[in-house]
Amino acid sequence: MSALLFNSAFGFYVVGLFHSVAAFVSKKDLFHKIAFASVGIGFFLHSSFLVYRGVEIAHLPLTDLKEALAFFAWTVSLCFFISHMRYRIKPLGIFLLPLVTALMLGTIFFKSSPVPEILRSSWIYWHTICLFLAYGMFFMTFIASLLYLFQERELKGKKPKTFYYWLPSQVLLDDLFYKMLISGFCFMTLGLLAGVIWAEQDWVQGWQGDPKVIAALVTWAIYLILIYLRLTAGWRGKRAALISMAGFLSILFTFLGARYLGGLHTFQ
Amino acid sequence: MDLILVGLSHKTAPIEVRERIFFPEKHLPTALQRLQAESDLSEGMIVSTCNRVEVLVHGDRGHFQIVEAVKNFLYSYHALSRPFLENYLYSHLRQDAVNHLFRVTSSLDSMVVGEPQILAQVKRAYSLACQAGSVGRHLGDLIPRAFFVAKKVRTSTRIGAAAVSVSSVAIELARKILGDLENKSVLFMGAGKMSTLAAKHLSDAGIQNIYVANRTPERSEKMAAQFSGQAVPFEDRFSYVIRADIVLVSTGSDSFILTKSEVEGIIKKRKYRPLFIIDISVPRNVDPAVNELENVFVYDIDDLQSVIDANIRQRQQEAVIAEDIVVEEVSNYIKQASRHSVGPLASLLRSRIEEMCLEDLKERRHQLTDEEYQRMEKMLKKTAHKIAHPLITQLRESDDSPGHRLYKIEMFKKMFRLDEDS
Repeated sequence: MSALLFNSAFGFYVVGLFHSVAAFVSKKDLFHKIAFASVGIGFFLHSSFLVYRGVEIAHLPLTDLKEALAFFAWTVSLCFFISHMRYRIKPLGIFLLPLVTALMLGTIFFKSSPVPEILRSSWIYWHTICLFLAYGMFFMTFIASLLYLFQERELKGKKPKTFYYWLPSQVLLDDLFYKMLISGFCFMTLGLLAGVIWAEQDWVQGWQGDPKVIAALVTWAIYLILIYLRLTAGWRGKRAALISMAGFLSILFTFLGARYLGGLHTFQ
Repeated sequence: MDLILVGLSHKTAPIEVRERIFFPEKHLPTALQRLQAESDLSEGMIVSTCNRVEVLVHGDRGHFQIVEAVKNFLYSYHALSRPFLENYLYSHLRQDAVNHLFRVTSSLDSMVVGEPQILAQVKRAYSLACQAGSVGRHLGDLIPRAFFVAKKVRTSTRIGAAAVSVSSVAIELARKILGDLENKSVLFMGAGKMSTLAAKHLSDAGIQNIYVANRTPERSEKMAAQFSGQAVPFEDRFSYVIRADIVLVSTGSDSFILTKSEVEGIIKKRKYRPLFIIDISVPRNVDPAVNELENVFVYDIDDLQSVIDANIRQRQQEAVIAEDIVVEEVSNYIKQASRHSVGPLASLLRSRIEEMCLEDLKERRHQLTDEEYQRMEKMLKKTAHKIAHPLITQLRESDDSPGHRLYKIEMFKKMFRLDEDS
């Protein structure tokens, strides 16, 4: 049952991706509506999967890399959903859905494993949920800054082409960027705190030197700098886009790369 | 019986011709009455705008006679000679007329594709024709359909979305860069005619804070008062650039009054808030290099024009989608219209054939006994049925293209001299 839910969610995401591309190429609104509807159904099925699977294993389905990828995909499509409802930015799908699809596809290559005893703690729930929500939001931040750049280029070049006709105003894109940045940062802070509390409570030794912890702190610092520069010097546009790109690369490293350096976070 | 559209437009006729065939609105009711009476047409509507004059009619005669009748009406009404006008006129028959009407009403045939006025103009022409009593069941069915198609085109494409005039493009760009204009502020450098005109457009778009800086303070005060803005000394203009979101420059200066280094100092104080500079002066008053600065967008009059050009191309792209909608709607309409007309036509055809078969028998009635007559009548009716049956089947055939189907209906009507109204 859970596999059926998961696979059909995946199927709907793929349908959504194809229609986003079709909408981009043909400029027909109908494809947008189909794309959004399929992602909506996919998201609903994906959420049902998480609940169903959680009840099945009596644990949050977020304990191995397979489940982590699927959960990451879920947070990205959650962010897509919220942004779409709030801002109606049409080309979002074409940027977000490839990642969602790739993450869902990635789960095929990993086997699920039994839940390690160390992860049976309530703090781990908050730790992982908050961090993955933050990752999803930071990805949105990155995409928003990219779209801002694309439109800025057309505005500066005085030759409106694609994005000028597709995107809302720069101010709105900046608003999306800023809100996703701030909420992502809050969730990341909460997630890191939960991790620290959990480690202290369970007497985990040497968490301060763990490569993943260090990578996460670097990521956190990058976003802190971005927020600081935004508030004091009004950084936006190209500069902000570059930093948020660096931040997102750092997330990818934290999420995928740091596990090869050993440490406490190397689960199956 | 045919539906015909005869007319000319900016695509076929120059203004010198269009102005001579124009129907002023107050003359339309009498013109419609004359059209109906002189040309012996059952229904008619005249659309007359500065870009087109089109006469849509429905008549009971053959289409060639109808076209001639309408043309003759145009010549005589405007006292123009045939050679003068004939080459500019086009005529469309049946589904081509429907197609043309739908395209015109959807603003696909307009000079500026997607402009919204044409729909209102056709609506007005229709209501005048209704008042004049020249709309019957054919046009009364068709024309509201054209309004429906126009609305569909407008809602399902972005054909009218992109701005195509200098002032509306400037506002479109301002909204792109700054978002909602409600609580934004604009600084005018120069209080000339162009500035005043721009101020009117910008305040219509919702801008409330207006600053005016001009070398002669009297003029800036006069303009500021007009838009309940604030006149500021020309020397202080840079400190107001820090506050403003839009700077509109239109002075008679022959050198740059805003240079890159000046603006560079300002944007830091603005914390890189986006700044939209519109330079409508010729020669230019703002150094184009200012555009290289972060979050500063400088548009001169040529740049605005290039956005207009791009927007027109965008509208044309949308028009391609709109054309598909029109084609689909024309086919729907024709299908529906011909389905309506096959029913009565079939029974007319049947009785017409029967009539033809019994014609000679009826003439010889007196030579026959009642019994003989009834037998012959029964037999001939059977024959008539046998002839009519495949013809009606052919007529009802549904997989024809709508145009072909209509053609077939017309052909049957001619061959068997059928007239629905008789």
